[in-house]
Amino acid sequence: MKMKRIYNRLCLASVFFLVTFAVSAQRKVVTGTVTDGTGSPLPGVNVIIKGTVTGTVTDSNGAFSIEAGENDVITTSFIGFKPKEVPVGAQTKIDIVMEEDIATLSEVVVIGYGEQKKILNTGANLQVKGEDLQKLSTNNTLQALQGQTPGVQITTGSGQPGSAVRVVIRGQGTINGSGPLYVVDGVLMTDINFLSPSDIESIDVLKDAASAAIYGSQGASGVIIVTTKKGKGAGKSQLTFDAFYGVQNVARKMPMLNAEQYAVIMNEAAVNSGGQPIFNDSQMTAIANGATDWSNPRLDNSQIKAMHGGTNWLDKMFVKNAPTQSYAVGLTGGSENSTYSSGLSYQSQAGIIGGRGNSYYERYNFRFNSDHKLYGDILRFGQTLNFAYTQNNGIQTGGIYGSSVLPAMGASPFLPMYDSLGNFWDNSLSKWLPGEANPYAQMVESNQNRNFSQRIVGNVYFEVQPISRLKYKTMLSIDASSNDSHTFTPVYKLSQYSFNDTTRVSQNMGRGRNLIWDNTINYSFNLNNDHHFEVMAGTSAIYGTGVSMYGANYNLAFNTLENAWLSNALNKTKANRMTINGGENDDNKVLSYYGRLHYNFRETYLLNMTFRADASSNFAAGHRWGYFPSVSAGWVLTNERFMESARNIFDNLKLRASWGQVGNRNIPSFRYLSPMTYSGGAYPFGASEGSVTPGAYQSRLSNPYVKWETSEQTDIGFDARMLGGKVNVAFDWYKKITKDWLTRSPVVATAGADAPWINAGSVNNTGIELMISYSNQIGDLRYTVSANGAHNVNKVTQIPTFDGTIHGETNVLFVNADEFYRAQSGYPMGYFYGLKTNGIFQTQEDVLNYTDKDGKVIQPTAKPGDLRYVDTNGNGVIDANDRTMIGNPNPTYIFGLNIQLSYKAFDFALVGNGVTGNDIAQSYRNPGGYQNYTRYILDRWHGPGTSNTVPRVDLEGTNWAKFSDIYLQKGDYFRISNVTLGYDFSKLMKVKAFSQLRLYASALNLFTFTKYNGMDPEVGYGNNANSTSNSNINTGTNPTAYSSGIDLGYYPRPRTFLIGLNVKF
Amino acid sequence: MTKNRLYIAIAGLLIFTSCGEDYLKTHSYTELNESTFYNTPTDAYNGLVGVYDGFQRMYSAAFAVPTITEVFSDNAFGGGGAADGYGGQLMDEFDQQRSPSDIKIIEDDWINYYAGIFRCNALLGNLDRVKWAGADTLKNQYAAEARVMRAIAYLDLVRLFENVVLLDKPSSENLPQANPDDVYKLIADDLVFAIQNLPAVPYAKQVPAQHGRITKWAAEALLARAFLFYTGYYGKADLAGVTKQQVLDNLEDLIQHSGHDLVPDFATLWPAASGANYAGERNIENILNIKATYTGNYNGDMDGNQWMVMFGLRDGNYPPYGQGWGFGTVNPKLWNAYSDQDTRKVASIISIADENLTAAGFGNGGQREYTGYYTKKYTPMSSLVNGVAKGLAEQLGGVNFQIGQYQDFIMVRYADVLLMAAELGSANAQSYFDKVRQRAYKTNFSSIPVTPDNIMTERRLEFAGEGIRYWDLLRQGVNVAAATIAETDTPVLSGGVSAKVTIKAENIISKRGFQQIPNTQITLSNSVLKQNPGW
Repeated sequence: MKMKRIYNRLCLASVFFLVTFAVSAQRKVVTGTVTDGTGSPLPGVNVIIKGTVTGTVTDSNGAFSIEAGENDVITTSFIGFKPKEVPVGAQTKIDIVMEEDIATLSEVVVIGYGEQKKILNTGANLQVKGEDLQKLSTNNTLQALQGQTPGVQITTGSGQPGSAVRVVIRGQGTINGSGPLYVVDGVLMTDINFLSPSDIESIDVLKDAASAAIYGSQGASGVIIVTTKKGKGAGKSQLTFDAFYGVQNVARKMPMLNAEQYAVIMNEAAVNSGGQPIFNDSQMTAIANGATDWSNPRLDNSQIKAMHGGTNWLDKMFVKNAPTQSYAVGLTGGSENSTYSSGLSYQSQAGIIGGRGNSYYERYNFRFNSDHKLYGDILRFGQTLNFAYTQNNGIQTGGIYGSSVLPAMGASPFLPMYDSLGNFWDNSLSKWLPGEANPYAQMVESNQNRNFSQRIVGNVYFEVQPISRLKYKTMLSIDASSNDSHTFTPVYKLSQYSFNDTTRVSQNMGRGRNLIWDNTINYSFNLNNDHHFEVMAGTSAIYGTGVSMYGANYNLAFNTLENAWLSNALNKTKANRMTINGGENDDNKVLSYYGRLHYNFRETYLLNMTFRADASSNFAAGHRWGYFPSVSAGWVLTNERFMESARNIFDNLKLRASWGQVGNRNIPSFRYLSPMTYSGGAYPFGASEGSVTPGAYQSRLSNPYVKWETSEQTDIGFDARMLGGKVNVAFDWYKKITKDWLTRSPVVATAGADAPWINAGSVNNTGIELMISYSNQIGDLRYTVSANGAHNVNKVTQIPTFDGTIHGETNVLFVNADEFYRAQSGYPMGYFYGLKTNGIFQTQEDVLNYTDKDGKVIQPTAKPGDLRYVDTNGNGVIDANDRTMIGNPNPTYIFGLNIQLSYKAFDFALVGNGVTGNDIAQSYRNPGGYQNYTRYILDRWHGPGTSNTVPRVDLEGTNWAKFSDIYLQKGDYFRISNVTLGYDFSKLMKVKAFSQLRLYASALNLFTFTKYNGMDPEVGYGNNANSTSNSNINTGTNPTAYSSGIDLGYYPRPRTFLIGLNVKF
Repeated sequence: MTKNRLYIAIAGLLIFTSCGEDYLKTHSYTELNESTFYNTPTDAYNGLVGVYDGFQRMYSAAFAVPTITEVFSDNAFGGGGAADGYGGQLMDEFDQQRSPSDIKIIEDDWINYYAGIFRCNALLGNLDRVKWAGADTLKNQYAAEARVMRAIAYLDLVRLFENVVLLDKPSSENLPQANPDDVYKLIADDLVFAIQNLPAVPYAKQVPAQHGRITKWAAEALLARAFLFYTGYYGKADLAGVTKQQVLDNLEDLIQHSGHDLVPDFATLWPAASGANYAGERNIENILNIKATYTGNYNGDMDGNQWMVMFGLRDGNYPPYGQGWGFGTVNPKLWNAYSDQDTRKVASIISIADENLTAAGFGNGGQREYTGYYTKKYTPMSSLVNGVAKGLAEQLGGVNFQIGQYQDFIMVRYADVLLMAAELGSANAQSYFDKVRQRAYKTNFSSIPVTPDNIMTERRLEFAGEGIRYWDLLRQGVNVAAATIAETDTPVLSGGVSAKVTIKAENIISKRGFQQIPNTQITLSNSVLKQNPGW
């Protein structure tokens, strides 16, 4: 709205100027209408005869009338649009279409609690327009940001519909996995998954601490401000309809061993372990021919024959052509004093694993925003409202326990899908791996769930301008949500271990509410016309609360998920098989004071300062308050005389520097106390079974001194606009120091209770970011090419635990796996920690020749085909002390590429993004044993000279039991994430019913350039699952969420082909 | 007018800011904390129950002391599933190479014991804050119970790992391992304190609803157990000042005053061996049980006997036996060590062939190191329901057989007291010894002399499957233990295929019979914790 007012004032000024100095000559009257690219009329456009001061402005219908000669050229200019020149010639009616210019100098960016002209902004901010996001046809707003924002690493959590997106701004600063703060129309929150991309006007990313510091205690990981669509004011009513429909398929499937290859490898493993081959020659021949009952008495010959190389379990898991669709209607409009914008949208996406029944997401969104002016400029009020209703169901992915994907990679190809009656195969009486369950059936049986959630985010605000340039604004925001879910477990038996005897149900309900009350007062004034000041002071109070209830019971009257409700459970007597939990969440309260000063001298020398004080109920009295200052300065060089000679190159050049501190208060409440827990404290005294006596114990160690985590960042950069706006460059260098991480580090077991929350450690992130774009026009072909890249170096500088290390968890990569990632002083966060290898022993002689300086054989028990480990400490033995940094999951470069072409009614876009310099740890099976392998195992060592990279196979998993660099691969990739071709039929039509009628086709995730051999190099999984039982860490904010780049059978991102329609009336 | 508007705006700000710190005061709606807890004797009792729960959790891992000590000993092999990892073999053979990745194989125990010790220490440290109102006897009784549980925890820890961290109050410091002598000193002090402070309530007067509470008699028996191991393994004359005579006097006190006695029929101690004749968990012979029941769930309530599942038949439910994981297959040598006249033979061991379970459908294809014998004393049970075998745990209402096993672990029973008293040189040694054997052999009984060798042989037969044999071997010296446990090419079936078990004595000797300190704990401590020799 502020933007609108600036337009109006500028227009008024220019009208005055032009009218006053207009001169009349011998002329004809030329009339016409100025419209934007969508056909909407543009009021207030300056229309000037080139080389003169003669001119006018368009009226509210975009119409103008001007006197001009035949040799004159009419130029039009309007803020936010590229200037346009039209020779008059013989015409008396000239309709002019103006093209929007995103990068104009008067562009306004959104900052904390306000807006600012981009030219005056001194932070490292970045704005992405909503319409650019919508062009990418994703159901997830953040995914659409990928590749568009230098320094912002966006990784899809998994390919499952609706799964969260991991956002890391300028390198991992904190260990507890805190993402950026999201501010949606002034409402602070931690995720924006509920938003529909169609509702978004713009997204502003505040990357530097000076910009984020106004949000104080919550901005340590950066701030992402989302503005939803608002009404555009008089004469801009518009109805839009956007839709797309697409089909999704797996882009790259992991090749697994077929039955015959599997049998060969199992035989070889058995022999290498000193045993006899498992399958004899005749069995092998039979397996190759697919026709014998070598394994299972319940599998008949025809079934085995039908297996043709056995079951390819990944084929069973992936569905073909899973649909994804989106429909959105939008309406904006209003009068001079009152504007509105409303939208209704529906999106749904089925997963490529298991399809709709197993993995599905759908969402309805409704938005209504309005803004009204009363009594002139004195009073303004308005409201924003975003409502989302989401329904989803999903499978488990990611970790080694409970995952649906991993078992499909480990299941042997011998295992059939169905028995002769068409039921899921029960493998428990099999002679081959009776503990192995049909992974597809396992997914279907144990993932029957439906989740529903509703969320309202909105606010009401009043703004009073009691005296000129003084504004007082009060805004009450609410973020209210409720959710419910239920699950059903049918009776099934798939293997010795995978079974369920009695039907089970669980039901879960909860609601949460966050109230925010902001009060700000703004005053701006000038001194001597050259010094412009703008001061703002404000207070904010946050009050969050919620309740939840969970119940579970068993033995249901019905046998389907849709009837799986607690009321239908027949068990009334067996208390331990019922669970009833519920309670109110601890209150979360924050009280804040903040202030800001903007100063500039002739818009050339810029100074911005902010300060915020926050107090949070999460900390003990005496440790509650945190103070977060920032200062930043800018210098617009192009306003200086000495730059005049360079004006033909630089339209605008601004240098800027900033420093600031931001905080993180993200821990659950009362961590400064040690709780007495009754849950799980009972003991069954007495001579009869079935009764317990309740007991209590201290379940967690306390830390009364726990306090804020602080992030401090320095940023130096420049913004340049060159060659008449054709070239835009933005560059930033930054250094971010995050200290006093709020985390829990595993404690020595002798402490006896769960680890306390501590302030531990610090990390430095240093990097540079560069964004360059070039736009030009050749005839009717307009094009823009933009590229961005960021380089970041992440280094942990200090950790105050006993051994200067926050250890990664065990049992992550495979069952019984030791820690393999950690945070340690001097290394990147979450670096991979293991043994280095140096080839494979080809012969016994090789083993004996591998000696230390004293001639002692280093790996005396090794056999040919085993890995040669590097004795990094040179003590002549290979043990745990030889482990070292062997990989880094953090990319050193992330980059994006964006190409836009338009030719007449055609438009084309290509978007790509990628990372380099990171490693991925890949593990799809436990070491040794009988699980299936990927086909890459066919490159194993099986005799001298056969391989120097993949060791021999055996049943003990000798070469895989210790984490070494054979688990690592380079994670570099470049992905063509979106290719779109569109055609706007409205340009063909004579009747202007539509201002746009565009049909387009897109391919998402079309191709990925990578050497990584997994299904998807964009591995969003770190060890974020809840800790295992023996790690001394409970749930809560996950202290080990800093881990990343772990591929444990990842749900890959689908490849989507879709067609879409954009209609504007 | 303009000014008024300004004042209103400023007033709005001021009203808001006056809330201040009061606004930030919150309290938890669902949780108590340690600063407000230990007030009343009821709080103290609840805390004591929490300690008992911690005590139960010490034995809640799959590889808990009752299972692993059988595998360490000559009673049982690693076993497990044919496709399982080789952790069981690692433990059985004391050989890291059998499963190189298992470098923290019994870390769960290490963690569970220290969690239990923390609960003991936390309660002991807070007892003085409770307003006892003159009930000091009660205070001392609670303290004594907590100290016995602490002593049990340390006795297991020091016998398993030898070099352990010693804590008599809560601490999250990074502490080095203590001298084992100091650990035994704490064990002796705790048990002596308990013997002095626990009331001497004879069995008949104990309250059945309180069954499971630690008694003076339990403390007396445990002191003897600690004494025998410490003096045996380390060749010491006394246990931190506690003399052999004191220990023996305690046992004689127990024998004379506790009211405990042997149940007449050995088999009735064990549900799977006695069926309807089962003597129950509370019987005259059991002096200390670790209680278990079927009410456990996956929401943090661990009430079941989870390690017992490890011992069960691997293949499914074959009434009266229920499904388990076939861990710790019984060594045929143990079966053969019993005379057929010994009623303990079939009460202690399931013989697949003799009980004709193959005919019932039992197959060994999924079993590793199948010997034909399984432990009967602790094994899941099942029965036929409408012709289908279903686990008893589930039938009673357990969530499933894995967490629903409800059979108590008998930590101390009267037969042990009699044999320890005989070993310590009681004047009644021969009659105590005969009493145990008489019950075993019934009418076929004939007396043999009460020599140390005969006592040891009898202990092996009497306590097979009860987690006692390995300590009995080790306290005779690691060389004796290693030589007894060693196996050379003993034939077994793994996945239905012939295989062999080989256990080298030198592997046990090089480790002095002790276990690996969990590697994770060593790294967490920045190597303040030292690995045991040989590992």
